Parts: sequence; structure tokens; C-alpha cells
Amino acid sequence: MKKLIFGFIICIISFASQGQVVTNYLGDESYFYAQTKQINQFFRRFNAEENLQGERLYKGDRHYRDPENRKSYIKMLFDIESSKIENNLKNEFIDEVTDKNEPDYLDFYGGEWFAEVTAKFRFNGKTETAVIFLKLEHENLGMKWVINKVYFKPFSELFFTDSVTNKFIHPMSHELDFMNLIKVFEDKGQVEYYFDKDYHPDFKTIFLYEIKKGGLAFETIQNVKFHFFQIENWYFEISEFNRSSKNSGWLISALTKIPEDQKELLLKYIYYEK
Amino acid sequence: MKKLLSITIFLVMATMAYAQQPDISPERKRAIDSLAMEKVKDLSRYISIIGSKDTPFSEANRVIDRAMELFSDGAQMGVSSLNTKEVKYYGVRKYFERLMALNYDQVTIEWFNIHYISDLVRQPDGKYVGVITIYQKFTGINDDGMKYVDITKKDITVYVERKETQIGGRIIGFWDVLLGDIRVTETRPAN
Repeated sequence: MKKLIFGFIICIISFASQGQVVTNYLGDESYFYAQTKQINQFFRRFNAEENLQGERLYKGDRHYRDPENRKSYIKMLFDIESSKIENNLKNEFIDEVTDKNEPDYLDFYGGEWFAEVTAKFRFNGKTETAVIFLKLEHENLGMKWVINKVYFKPFSELFFTDSVTNKFIHPMSHELDFMNLIKVFEDKGQVEYYFDKDYHPDFKTIFLYEIKKGGLAFETIQNVKFHFFQIENWYFEISEFNRSSKNSGWLISALTKIPEDQKELLLKYIYYEK
Repeated sequence: MKKLLSITIFLVMATMAYAQQPDISPERKRAIDSLAMEKVKDLSRYISIIGSKDTPFSEANRVIDRAMELFSDGAQMGVSSLNTKEVKYYGVRKYFERLMALNYDQVTIEWFNIHYISDLVRQPDGKYVGVITIYQKFTGINDDGMKYVDITKKDITVYVERKETQIGGRIIGFWDVLLGDIRVTETRPAN
């Protein structure tokens, strides 16, 4: 039955697209109508805040946030060519976010979602990949994306690579005017183990330093995806699928049911933090 | 004439509804969308003229100058193909010049009817920004019959700014629209 509704929606989209053709018709545009063309459209479809023609619906419009439409839309927002997300999990998620008494909507301004950008940089004469995490931040009456975290493998490989070490500055060093510091700073490969237990390398600062000194130079963007933590007890990821299918554009590529108190762990994993 | 009329209507609407409010009403948004779409259509027309082999060199250069007036300073095109997702960057003028210099005997640029207009989001500097998505089909044919076809998705940045002007001693508020960076993605044609 659910399959039937989904098929029906796809058909409606196809007819809607053909109905709009006026001039210079270049073929079947229904793919482009069905495609989730922007992240903005992902939000609107998830919330049922636009009609099948992609026109914005506002509070007070008849179908604004219509629960039944939402169910159909959200089904279309999954990458249906992947078997990574089980149908049971998908249906549980859809039922929960479209619950008539307690629906969940995505909020562009609501935080708890961020971008992961994979980019190429020139570093030490070689092209290396960096992962840049960006989040939205309020400023004045507006919004802006800011770089929140950076993961760069050549930097992370410099720190805490050994699981077991026996490195410390012995507790009577003060009596010798810390003359043994010479050994600490000669031990370049493991010098970080002599730092306090709360020390974590700040890759953002090293990254900025290298950019400013000319050691790192931006080349190009390779990939972009988004992580959503806005829905209570759920996490999902969206990626762009560029393919000849009505199920294309920005779609849910990963979905996990996760208690709120474990989200911090997942975040650390996404951020490459140990 | 049509353009003049739409600008006049827009100015009147803007004057009537003038208020210092951060949010844009649905009616205002629709009016701004129409204005932004006009700019995108102008751009589409210019691109077709620049790319056409029938356009004389001097005329194409004149059209490039006109097209540049649609853009904010420093706007770039970020282009990727089906083979690689990596983005190549071109200044907008450079992109137009490359289009003009393409080595085909016949070039056709057609536009799909579909377009998608995002919401407008306010930036820290008070301007609003949105994105309009359109699709374009490019066909290049050589005399020997060799044909190159691609379909691209173009995500066009639109900057919207509230401005004021004085007409006959009266201060009139209006919305100015400029185009910004354009992301060009080669997309797979429908089967």
C-alpha cells in the first residue's frame, strides 16, 4: 500500500511537470521536478512546506505541513537505491517525525545540523585531503556559515600515535632547574606525551597557521554532506546523488536511532576525534 | 517596455509595503522572486547570444559587458563534470570568454522550463541571499558532424538588498537584486 502511494506521488510529480511546459520543452523534466535540488528543498519537503510544483507553502495554506503529504515526501527523501537503511528503521523514523500529536520538523535556524566538506589542499608539495566542518552562526540579525572544526590527516598523524608510552618529566626535575627539558624537546615524535592530561591538539589553529604562512593552499572541493542531530533520538546524514532517477539530488544516506546521551560519542566519531 | 513596467510595479509595491522589518512577507518574497527570475532570464538570454556562432565578436563582447552588470563584484563560476566532482573555478567574465571562444561550428544553448527558488536568508550585513536552480542543455556540433551534448544544473546565488532612492522629493524604497557565484554541475540526462 505504501509502495502504491509512493508510486502515485511520483506519477503526480510527472504529470505536474508536463502540465507546466510552455515553451522550449527539452524532454522529460519530471526527473528534475522530483529531484531534491537544494538543501532548502530538503527542509521544505521534510516539513511539507512546499507543493508538488516546488512552490512555497506558508502557515495558513491548506496543505502546509500536511501530515499525510509529509509521510510521502519523507519517503522520497531517502536514497532508495541503497540497502544500507533497513525499511523497518525508515518506517519507524517516518512514523515518529510525522506523529500527529508530536510531529518533528527540521528548522534551518535551529542548530544541531552541520556541513562536512572534503577539500583538496596543496601541502608540502603534495595534494592532501582535508575535512572541514561548518555550522551556521547568528550575527547581528543575520546568519553565516563558520568553520567549526578541521581534520587534516598529516596533522593528526603527528600526535598521540602510540597507544603505550612511558614518557614523563620526573617529579624531582625542579631540583635540577628542569635541565632534562632538553630530552623532552629532542623527543620530537612523542613530545606531546609530556603535556598535561587535558591537552588536545588544536588542529584549527595549526591549519590557520599553515594557511597564513603559505604552507597550505586551497585547491578544490571534492564532496559535501550534511549531518542532522535535530530530531530527538535520531541522527541522519544527507548526501547528493547525481543520477538519472527521480530519486536523486539531496537524499538521506544514513539513518541511526541513537539516544540523546550517546550523540556526543557519535559527534566525536564524525569529527575524527579520539 | 515590459521590463520598465515590471520595475515600476515593483517600485510601487515596495513603496506601499515599506517597513523596517527583518522578515520578508510571502507576498514580498513572491515579488522578489519574480525580479530575481527576470535577472536569471536575462543571464540565460545573454549566455545564448555569447555562445552563438552567429554573434559577431564585437557584439558578443558588448553582451558580456551587459551580462557582467547582473553580477556582484568577484562572482565566480564553480564547474564540475560527471567524470569528476572536483570544482574548477572561473571568474564570470572568464567563463563568458571561454564560452565565446568554444571551438564548435554550431552551438545551441537551451533552457529547461523548471526552476527552483530557495527561501531568502538574511546575512550579517543585512542583505538577503537565496539560490535559484535552473537546468541548461548545451549542444556543440562540428562541421564533420561530431556532436557534444551536456546538461547542467546551475545553482545561482541571488543577493537581495533593500535600497532607497529619491524621486520627486519622496523617498522610495525598493529591492535591488544582483547575481553572485554560480555552481555548475553536469547532470545525467533523463533516460
